[in-house]
Amino acid sequence: MTILQRDDWYDIARDVDWTLSYVDEKEAFPEQWSGIGPVPKEAWAAWDEPYRCTYRDYVSVQRDKESGAHAVREALKRANLYDRLDPAHTAASHLHMGATCFVEQMAITMQSRFCRFAPAPAWRNMGVYGMLDETRHAQLDLAFSHDLLKSDPRFDWCNKGFHTNEWGILAVRNFFDDWMLSCNVVEAAIATSLVVEHGFTNVQFIALAADAMAAGDIDFSNLLSSIQTDEARHAQAGFPTLEIMMKHDPERAQRIFDVSLWRSFRLFQTLTGTSMDYYTPLEHRKRSFKEFMLEWVITQHERVTRDLGLKHPWYWDQFLECLDHGHHAMHLGTWFWRPTLFWKPNAGVSRAERAWLNEKYPSWEESWGTLWDQIIDNVNSGAIDKTLPLTLPALCNLTQLPLGSGWNPFNLKQWKSEYKGRVYNFDSEISKWCFDIEPERYAGHLNIIDRFLTGMIQPPSVEGCLSYMSLTPDVMGDDAYNYRWAQDYRDYAKAAE
Amino acid sequence: MASFPIYGVFQGDFVPHLVAVDTDDDMAQVAQAVAVHSVSRRIAPKDHRPFEVVVAGETVPLDCKFGEVVAEKALDPLDFVIVRYAS
Repeated sequence: MTILQRDDWYDIARDVDWTLSYVDEKEAFPEQWSGIGPVPKEAWAAWDEPYRCTYRDYVSVQRDKESGAHAVREALKRANLYDRLDPAHTAASHLHMGATCFVEQMAITMQSRFCRFAPAPAWRNMGVYGMLDETRHAQLDLAFSHDLLKSDPRFDWCNKGFHTNEWGILAVRNFFDDWMLSCNVVEAAIATSLVVEHGFTNVQFIALAADAMAAGDIDFSNLLSSIQTDEARHAQAGFPTLEIMMKHDPERAQRIFDVSLWRSFRLFQTLTGTSMDYYTPLEHRKRSFKEFMLEWVITQHERVTRDLGLKHPWYWDQFLECLDHGHHAMHLGTWFWRPTLFWKPNAGVSRAERAWLNEKYPSWEESWGTLWDQIIDNVNSGAIDKTLPLTLPALCNLTQLPLGSGWNPFNLKQWKSEYKGRVYNFDSEISKWCFDIEPERYAGHLNIIDRFLTGMIQPPSVEGCLSYMSLTPDVMGDDAYNYRWAQDYRDYAKAAE
Repeated sequence: MASFPIYGVFQGDFVPHLVAVDTDDDMAQVAQAVAVHSVSRRIAPKDHRPFEVVVAGETVPLDCKFGEVVAEKALDPLDFVIVRYAS
């Protein structure tokens, strides 16, 4: 019997649909999950994934990937490589594992929703591969972290993190609860597949894998590369979805894009901006976070906008401005509130690192250097207590990140809205706009400050907060190098005398 | 007498802090309560330089009771109260 070539049967297999007769279309595909709005059913027939994948191909390729990833893992398990890594770099892997493993888990649900509620059969078919991809990613993170538990209890947060109320986890969970678990498939495809995965995490994984390899963390680099190849494929689901939305409901498509771009960028700044500009050992830095953003993310965004007819978000100038500041603010904040972390941040402001920061960000000294100078004086005079917090920073009711962390100290300004008798505060005009156009979507959520004020955190103190966040002494954040970097300044001051 | 949460900003610092102040406190006490989270931590101390407090864009006398300022400026909980070195 002759076996048909893939191209002979592929379009029939991937695009089989049926006319419902026993159930109403709107009951089978309720608006709250499909989210197609005014787009006519026929329009979805044009949904066409930019690549081709059959189940047979998928299984074969994935089997090879799994074998490769686990072969490297097994080989390195016995080499105790992790114990010889730079502590600044290992912070990036703790942060990554704790913050993303359960996002992969949540993505399984999102992809399953594509399988069930997507308005095009080809999209539902693709969702199966996406669902299997995300299952693999979550399991890989857990397996690799489990291997490293013997070296560092922080890898337990790969599994534990999302079951805690640690503030950073809460920010990540809040975003993905919204854009993966609670929204309809049209929103999820634009916000998650297109903006988050294609726009940010796909390139982030390439950069992080390269940095990890340069830092000698072959295991982590291997893991990231294996995951990235899947992301690059299933993230493509966003393009055909956006294309159809731009034809039939362009305003809504633009709004979903604009909101998710800002929200995911703020998270990306926090997770990747700090890693690239402060945690990656200086000798291994290839480019700054801003350079990376401009070269990879912004260029790509401009290509998408041009190809699909999107406009730049109204906040584009502020977005570009934020590239110079937001992650520096987040880094200073995370380092200062380091007991609230489950990783040990590198201050990253030794004299050599500071020179690099000033070269890459000409306004760094004026905006951030003066604040670090006081911290350095405190470290060098033994006043470590002055480098630790006595209270909580103000937090945004949208991003869950500190107010003031979207800009520099010279632009700190209150942005607030009142909705149904409650006042909400925001880290920027942009976050306030996101809330104001869809208040019901966000209203009611309590950030850490709200929980503190409503008595959910007991005792009402920094210690109570740390306990509420499940932070125990064995994982609680502290300076990655035990403040040795500050010695640099003391030596310099002595030499100058 | 009642506790009232504010977001205290010390000018020049990058982030506001959650600060609980009492409506019976005078604004000098409010200024101290805000400053303790920034001055000598990320903001260089300036010996003997007095503070001043700005609420809703206006400087408020230091001997004024915070409760009066709350009423006069119609402050919401978690509104910004800005403290700075007097020029």
